[in-house]
Amino acid sequence: MTTRTRAATFALAAAVACNQGLEPALAPTSCPQGFVGVCGTVSFVGQVPESTAKLFVVAFDTFPKSQNDLFKFKPQPSPPNLPLGGPAFFYTLPLPPGRYEWVLAVWQKQGTLSPANADSLLRETGFYSDKGDTTEHGSGIVIVNPGTGTDSIDFVVDFNTMHRVCFYFPPCP
Amino acid sequence: MKRLALPAAALGLWGQVLGAQDAVVYGTVHGESVGPLRSAEVVVIGPNLGTLTDRGGKYRLSRVAPGVVIVRARFIGYVPAFDTVSVAAGDSVEASFVLRPSVTDGLPFVVLGPVVVTAAKRSQLLDQAITSVAVVSDTELARRAVNTVDEAVDKAPGVQFLYGQVNIRGSTGYVQGLGSRVLMLVDGVPANQGDRGGINWDLVPLEDVQRVEIVKGAGSSLYGSAALGGVVNVLTRDIAPGFHARVRATGGSYANPPYDVWKFRDYTGAEEGLDATGSYGTELVRASVTGGGWHSDGYRQQDRRDHWQTAAKLDWRPLAATRLTASGSWASDQYETPLMWCTQGGCNDRGQAYQPFMIDTAGRGAFTRSDKGYVSATLERTASARLAWQARGSWLRTDFTDLQQGQDDFGVANRLGAELRGIARPADGRVVTVGAEIARSDVTTNIFTGDTSTTSTVVRTHTQSEFAAYGESEQMVGRARITAGARVDYIAVDGGGLSAVVSPRVGGVFATAHGAWRASVGRGFRAPSLAERFVSTTIPPFHVIPNPNLRPETAWSAELGKVTEVSSALRADAALFWTEAHDLIEPNVNLGTVQIQFRNVARARLAGLDVSLAASPLTPRLTTSLAYTFLYARGLAHDTVPERPLAFRPTHLVTLSADYQWHTVSAGGDFRYTSRFERVELYPGDERVAGKVLDLRVGVERGPLSLRGRLANALNYIYNQVPRTLAPVRTLSVTLTWTY
Repeated sequence: MTTRTRAATFALAAAVACNQGLEPALAPTSCPQGFVGVCGTVSFVGQVPESTAKLFVVAFDTFPKSQNDLFKFKPQPSPPNLPLGGPAFFYTLPLPPGRYEWVLAVWQKQGTLSPANADSLLRETGFYSDKGDTTEHGSGIVIVNPGTGTDSIDFVVDFNTMHRVCFYFPPCP
Repeated sequence: MKRLALPAAALGLWGQVLGAQDAVVYGTVHGESVGPLRSAEVVVIGPNLGTLTDRGGKYRLSRVAPGVVIVRARFIGYVPAFDTVSVAAGDSVEASFVLRPSVTDGLPFVVLGPVVVTAAKRSQLLDQAITSVAVVSDTELARRAVNTVDEAVDKAPGVQFLYGQVNIRGSTGYVQGLGSRVLMLVDGVPANQGDRGGINWDLVPLEDVQRVEIVKGAGSSLYGSAALGGVVNVLTRDIAPGFHARVRATGGSYANPPYDVWKFRDYTGAEEGLDATGSYGTELVRASVTGGGWHSDGYRQQDRRDHWQTAAKLDWRPLAATRLTASGSWASDQYETPLMWCTQGGCNDRGQAYQPFMIDTAGRGAFTRSDKGYVSATLERTASARLAWQARGSWLRTDFTDLQQGQDDFGVANRLGAELRGIARPADGRVVTVGAEIARSDVTTNIFTGDTSTTSTVVRTHTQSEFAAYGESEQMVGRARITAGARVDYIAVDGGGLSAVVSPRVGGVFATAHGAWRASVGRGFRAPSLAERFVSTTIPPFHVIPNPNLRPETAWSAELGKVTEVSSALRADAALFWTEAHDLIEPNVNLGTVQIQFRNVARARLAGLDVSLAASPLTPRLTTSLAYTFLYARGLAHDTVPERPLAFRPTHLVTLSADYQWHTVSAGGDFRYTSRFERVELYPGDERVAGKVLDLRVGVERGPLSLRGRLANALNYIYNQVPRTLAPVRTLSVTLTWTY
């Protein structure tokens, strides 16, 4: 083998030696290092409706003042899913640093979702609350600081007590 | 039958009489130190008049038009040779060749050397092109044992595919197949989809592809819309005289997930395919037919695909200087649609934060049926040694249906095109190319309707008409070739008013003792696709609304390059490039109205350096090449958005290739390094890694049989380049080809 061949072989071997692709990552049990957002445990009550499309968790920086505000949730465009029942589940919700007034789980019924049919396809099915919060809606204020995650934003998803959009913005049709 | 036979005989006689004024080029093709080569291909470039050598290595081309012609001889395992000969009417001229052995047919990607390209709308020597051009030869396509064109082109210098979307020097990024900023041609005929503007890489069966030319930088001065970042020209095979056949069988398997926790099925995925081609030709008429298909289980959940295809080509040469070519293809795919991989809670996640081989439960059952085809006819005529012209017509049709939970989307699109082109050589050292082109695209659809309602039951038809004229002149000035030209495109949507786009280009090539300098400045543009203008659908919870007032994207591109023959075995090519793009069309998300709309919002700058080195041979029997692209891609500040990196563009792109040949056995590989994207969209918080993909190959030839093995992504490197979409895992495939 000539010097040039050896050099080329060595260069190729060195280049491929660093094989560090994606690897399995356990679902976290506390906010991962460097994660920015909120984390917590969701526990489940009741039976999952058969018509379920999915369940996901979102946050609002200000509590929605009208039905039009419902889609100003974060993160956009696709918030993280929650499992459909089962044992308590640790979730992570990536969010930009800031103040959030409502962190909640949303149940979505099967069908094509649009702003026009949100009332029939979406339900609030549980949200984080803080007894110290004295605001009218009674949810908890969550602060997300730069460069770190906010832990222990725990709440319960109750499939027996789900609220339509019109529950918050009456009247219901 | 007799009624038909008489005119046919008369036509043949007429051709023979006129043929008396034709010239003959004859000679032999020898391999260095091995004697005559049988079945070597000899072609007159331009009219593509070709033949094969006989047992004694002799050939005779009897219908050559008078004038100056370039003759090319080539044979697998040898470096192609070229000769320029001048022939007069009724003359016979000898052009014999002695071919030098090569590890391959040229280099893995021929970026240098005396290769003739047509991507600049006429035949020219490669080192006379004013922009960078990469060529993927048919030998390279065969050696890679791939199924579609994009799999082979993917490793060309400066080229990167992102989930089927081609990027030339970072031109397009990833916009989910909508609006490619690269124009695909099939034998010079535009073939981007009429509705979405994307590219179907499986439109032409790989068996029919002779080579692929990749022109980098703005090409709109000749090709118009979509040639903003470059042009990819897929050239189909010439049909040789006599009877020929080829059967190609492929089988392979996908690696299972490297970790048990990622397992998603209890069997090993496989792929298999079969293609057959037959052709017959005489001096007067030649025809070929190809048919085949393949099946793939896919390498991840819900990734099965069936593909069927057929193609045909007819080549009629009634006169030496006249050629009529008609070709067409049809491909049909049914494939499951693997949406993004599932994250925690979205599927049976087994306690993992994400499952890259599985998809979200909500996306199960989605699949797509996609049919596409084209027919084209081209009439070429060399009127004299100083004038040639061609006329062509084409029809491209695409038909897709996405079947998903809750709604089915469909679109049936047509693109009809015609072009008249003339190439004149009014004086020695001057070449003038002029032409006019028209095209009409239409789509009937329930997703690109332009309707503002959310229902998918509305069906609309939209059209786009394009009229263009172009001209370019090349003038020899000493050792320099100076080129200047422009094209004007008029575009009308749904019969509305015409909007004009002018695309000028100037450039030059200056030959030196050891290579050539090249420089060019040109303007490119891309008209919004009908899909971008009229899309109306729902991506829960957003309503994607139409924007019929979109303007064309434009970009100024400049390049300064140098090709150098460092030694007889080492060649180098380097190019600095700079692109300033305006009015880029990007999706705009409005949280207030819960709407997404395509808008002209962004300005961008793409600049960098392309370098390639090719050593042939590095050592006896070993050929190597190295290509590196440095890319600085920035979206410039606009409105409230600050300057930031363009999404899905790697700063560094490195390709290493090596091939070793020992008698009839060859072995080689490619290594592609793609640096980690500085910025991605949709899920910027997801972990992302650099791309490091090693492909290995081995082949053996014995008589009419060729056996090739390919181990793609040999290290089973697990990575993704587009959001939550796993890139192909290790795939072993074996291809057996029989050629008659």
